[in-house]
Amino acid sequence: MKFYVCIKQVPDVNAPLQIKDGQLVQDADRNILNAYDASSIEEALVITEAHGGEVEAVLIGPEKAKETLRKALAMGADSGTHIVTSGDEHYDSFAYAKILATFFKDKEYGYILCGKQSQDTDSGLTGSMLAEMLNLPYSTNAVGLELKDDHIVVKRQGDTGQEMIELASPGLVTCSNDMNDPRIPSLKGIMQSKRKPVNTVALSDLNAGISEADTKTNILSFEEKPEREPGKKYEGEPEEIARQVAQLLDTEENVI
Amino acid sequence: MSTLLTYISINDGKIKRSSLEVLSRCNELAEKHGLKSAALIIDQDPAPAAETLKKYGPSVIYTVKNPIFKNHLNTPLLKALSTAVKQINPRVVAFASTEGSKDILGALAANLNAAALADMSEFDLTDDGVKGKRPVMASKIISAVEAKGTPVVLTVRSGSYDVVEKQTDSSVESIDFAFNEDELKVTLKEIISASSDRIDLSEAEAVIAAGRGVKDEEGRKLISELASVLNAGIGASRALTEGGAYDPSLQIGQTGKVVSPQLYIGVGISGAIQHVAGMANSKVIVAINKDPDAPIFDIADYGLVGDLYKVLPPFIEELKKIKQN
Ligand SMILES: Cc1cc2nc3c(=O)[nH]c(=O)nc-3n(C[C@H](O)[C@H](O)[C@H](O)COP(=O)(O)OP(=O)(O)OC[C@H]3O[C@@H](n4cnc5c(N)ncnc54)[C@H](O)[C@@H]3O)c2cc1C
Ligand SMILES: Nc1ncnc2c1ncn2[C@@H]1O[C@H](COP(=O)(O)O)[C@@H](O)[C@H]1O
Repeated sequence: MKFYVCIKQVPDVNAPLQIKDGQLVQDADRNILNAYDASSIEEALVITEAHGGEVEAVLIGPEKAKETLRKALAMGADSGTHIVTSGDEHYDSFAYAKILATFFKDKEYGYILCGKQSQDTDSGLTGSMLAEMLNLPYSTNAVGLELKDDHIVVKRQGDTGQEMIELASPGLVTCSNDMNDPRIPSLKGIMQSKRKPVNTVALSDLNAGISEADTKTNILSFEEKPEREPGKKYEGEPEEIARQVAQLLDTEENVI
Repeated sequence: MSTLLTYISINDGKIKRSSLEVLSRCNELAEKHGLKSAALIIDQDPAPAAETLKKYGPSVIYTVKNPIFKNHLNTPLLKALSTAVKQINPRVVAFASTEGSKDILGALAANLNAAALADMSEFDLTDDGVKGKRPVMASKIISAVEAKGTPVVLTVRSGSYDVVEKQTDSSVESIDFAFNEDELKVTLKEIISASSDRIDLSEAEAVIAAGRGVKDEEGRKLISELASVLNAGIGASRALTEGGAYDPSLQIGQTGKVVSPQLYIGVGISGAIQHVAGMANSKVIVAINKDPDAPIFDIADYGLVGDLYKVLPPFIEELKKIKQN
């Protein structure tokens, strides 16, 4: 069975960042593979290693994002498609979903896997948008996947517990990083990745017909999070500080 | 008159508080902008919730009734939402941010060719859409965003607004809906639920969160004791849900749940940004950690520096005494 995995290059949230004139200033060298997408790749690899099949990673992004596609190949994906953008555009989830929908229009596959959200924006929209545009059944926030004959069983984290869902093929799943522990590419994997096929497509050649109206949301500016007033640290005899704080929670905060 | 529509989430027959927060905000905006605030209930038995809702100010309560809505399933929910939205033609469709609403928000937006804003901490109307704020970069910073068009669909983080009661003579209107189960390409086989007497974390007034410092059975026992004295929900950091010590549904943070209790007590948690992303809105934050430099102390109102195994027993004992008086 063929699995497509949609992956995104995102800024590392642990890297230092600054806000200048309402804009975010980050170190462009500290971009990484979205953590949730690393889990999607891992899951597709585990399934295809056990049952046969192939894994293709698809990434939309500027030239520089190719390093992230290479990482997916180094982990073990068989091939990749890079849809190249100029990097200056401000696409939102809707626009990315529409580009992906155009790419998938004439493709055949068992399942498309996405991350449940982008680690930098936490939007969590692209996957289900893409499913709706392609008219595919889907499941989000998957914490487990199992291939059974011609369909998969998704374990998803829902509001009241974990829902076990049978999903017909072709279908789409968005993955949580609670699903697995993604492998670190081995040296051999990195060497092999250099010979793996990457299909590079210019966004303009895809004819996705992305217009202004497809970016439906705009970021106006970035702001610092309001700081919390620093509280007090209690050090000393455990017995004493424990009783003291318990008292304060009652008398000062009235939360007991 | 155009409408602001709030979707009402119901779990086990109970309206989620976070939905009432969103409805209260929509009531306020409707008044400010001269619009109508309406609510939408999609359930196997919407009548009791519709009755309760009259205390919270919507002028119309729309209901969609079908046995298929006993459990969450995205295909029928999406169809019902799209039917209702096309009929009501609202300017905004607002949801509390839950696993259920996150599951369908993108698909609904694509279905309606509408703009979507997820996990907002603030929102208001503009002349031609919605603007507001949402946390990004693992909640390290806030981004101001806008969306244009009609409708705009959005989800709101729990704890962003207060619930305000407002008695109204709401009318209840049911929306026709039929669903052919043969159309389903998704089948719910089973729900593996965390034990049902547990307190819903996202709604809890007090939350005890256990981290890697809670190493063993003895530590977990202390956590349960503390939670039961305070009638608190138990949550955990990724370090413990990953290791299987706690149920994955109890994870608090970027991957897990957002909580906004009156009291949060983090026990043996370092305070990684991805964890803080899910609890920074708590009113009072207490941290117990043996490392005086743990980042959680930067945001804690009360930081107890010490070994949790030594701090918790007298802490629990003292709280018990306070409770008894
Ligand atoms: C994309 C992404 C999403 C993530 N999402 C989440 C999420 O939703 N939720 C989440 O929690 N994490 C999340 N994480 C993981 C997060 O980065 C941290 O790894 C995690 O929160 C650490 O958990 P911890 O604080 O329990 O463990 P640690 O960081 O290991 O901290 C343990 C703390 O316990 C203290 N301690 C040890 N023994 C004792 C003792 N006897 N008494 C008192 N204190 C003691 C130590 O001093 C230390 O500070 C995510 C990570 C990524 C990359
Ligand atoms: N530029 C992109 N290229 C490939 N996949 C993407 C891209 N942007 C988003 N996705 C997919 O959508 C998920 C995130 O959705 P969202 O949170 O809406 O940004 C990612 O985990 C990817 O699977």
